[in-house]
Amino acid sequence: MSLVEVTGLTKVFRRPVKDPGFRGALRHLVSPRYRDVTAVERVDLRIEPGEAVAYVGPNGAGKSTTVKLLTGIIVPTSGEVRVAGLSPHRDRIANARQVGVLFGQRSQLWWDLPVRESFTLLRDMYGVPDSLYRARMKRFDEVLDLGSILPVVARKLSLGQRMRADLAAALLHGPRIAYLDEPTIGLDIAVRDRVREFLRQLRDEGTTIMLTTHDLGDIEDVCERLVIIDRGRVIYDGSLAAVKDDFARERRIHLQLASPVPLASLSDRLPDAVVVAGDEPGEFTVTVDRFRQTAGAVISAVLPLAEVVELRIDEPAIEDVIRKVYAGELRLA
Amino acid sequence: MSSYVAYFGLFRTSARTVLAYRMSFWLGVLGGILPMVSLFAIWGALLSGERSLGGLDWAQMRAYLLVTFGTGSLLAAYGDFRMANRILDGRVALDLVKPVDYQRSRFAEALGGVGMELLSVGLVTCGVVIITGPVLVPHGVQALLFLAAMASVIPLKFGIMYLTCTLCFYTQNYVGLFWARETISALLSGALVPIALLPGWLQAVSGVLPFASVVSTPALIYVGAVSGFHAVQLILVQVLWTVALWFAARLAWRFAIRRLTVHGG
Repeated sequence: MSLVEVTGLTKVFRRPVKDPGFRGALRHLVSPRYRDVTAVERVDLRIEPGEAVAYVGPNGAGKSTTVKLLTGIIVPTSGEVRVAGLSPHRDRIANARQVGVLFGQRSQLWWDLPVRESFTLLRDMYGVPDSLYRARMKRFDEVLDLGSILPVVARKLSLGQRMRADLAAALLHGPRIAYLDEPTIGLDIAVRDRVREFLRQLRDEGTTIMLTTHDLGDIEDVCERLVIIDRGRVIYDGSLAAVKDDFARERRIHLQLASPVPLASLSDRLPDAVVVAGDEPGEFTVTVDRFRQTAGAVISAVLPLAEVVELRIDEPAIEDVIRKVYAGELRLA
Repeated sequence: MSSYVAYFGLFRTSARTVLAYRMSFWLGVLGGILPMVSLFAIWGALLSGERSLGGLDWAQMRAYLLVTFGTGSLLAAYGDFRMANRILDGRVALDLVKPVDYQRSRFAEALGGVGMELLSVGLVTCGVVIITGPVLVPHGVQALLFLAAMASVIPLKFGIMYLTCTLCFYTQNYVGLFWARETISALLSGALVPIALLPGWLQAVSGVLPFASVVSTPALIYVGAVSGFHAVQLILVQVLWTVALWFAARLAWRFAIRRLTVHGG
């Protein structure tokens, strides 16, 4: 049995339709009209214990709604959710014990109190034994440098500090599954790297992770599996490596040659590649299918024409694939 | 046992939050004394030619007004606005991923504020007594009955506030609900004027609603206008309302939560 089993999950919201202006507002007061908006449509999803799944999609695709359905915050319109055998919205409290949730854009810290108070409250809420609590806090301090934040009133934290504290707060009770909704939003590079490192450790220790993010670096660092959702439907579900092999095949090789070479003669020598001249004389970008032509083959084809002074290779990134999917240029599966 | 620890944690955290704002506490005390003194002046003028109004003489009326202030202060720090705002802006999502019952959690938080509220009521009473002279104090059984009635006010008032917040799911706004409740409650609870002074039909309406149990019951017991068996009866009514509202709120929440929409993030 999978840890998370989602079958035919659908959530329809009713949204008021208001005509523009004062008249529209008045009309809505007298005879309100509504339109149904399907946020999540017949989603099927299985997550095995210990998997790290990236759940991505453009804004408004239904990512957060899915997480809220999986955590029992909102009630599905139809379909079934099972998390370790529990129905999250019916067994909300039992389910809450086994999951940790981070909503990157909201804080669960008590705003008016020092951060430490939030942690002791969470300890009490989840019934974390004292020894375990101390061990975990020590660990959070090592990885997330939490110690310096603890005495600070939550309202005075910087975004990076707040996010680190919130991440620790979501994981204090050692959940089996962590739903992390944009855990690196707004963070500087140093903090982001730290958070990613922490997520990798968590994954290696066997915590199941569902990561919702716009930051594709998070995905490549932490996840092996990719689920893409668009307009409420899952449009891709498979391994990250497979997406790259299937769709991210273009490797770009930037060359700076010692002497100017006509574009045509370079193209003739590289029939399978696309060659584009750069701004400077002798500057070229060669785009090849990395499965059909190696970087070495490109270089040896160029060398008889001129010496290569500089060489830079852009590896295909998952980002390119997802950008194309969002833009509607690429249909997966 | 473990759940007791959880709710006690909420109680403690809420109490600390109240303590976090010293300035607002002292302003609250000051803001309590001044209206009380002016209320005394108004009712003093009204009672100047009379021996009693609504069955209360001047000494009783002063005590009545003070108890009214006390019941009004209870759970004021709880911040039904806090709960309502969390529902409206979606932060309630974070409360719903905690392994605790939502209603009990909010009740624990409400209780967390009570200590400071009682302290504030005590200080205001002292201030008023210093400015306007001593007030009547009940003794013996009457005092015990009053304490029982006052204690019942807390869960009862919580029930009314919690139910109002639940309506947020339908109205998408709390300010209107808040003022509607405040106005109705001020009139029908006996906070504005003793219920005996209301026209007959309004008294009848008040009789079938829980508001009188929040203000009129403890105030009338305190001043001795109601005693013995009748007082016990009124306290039983309080308890019945408390139980009824607790379960009504549970039921209402079950339906209302289905309407929860949390957009973005």
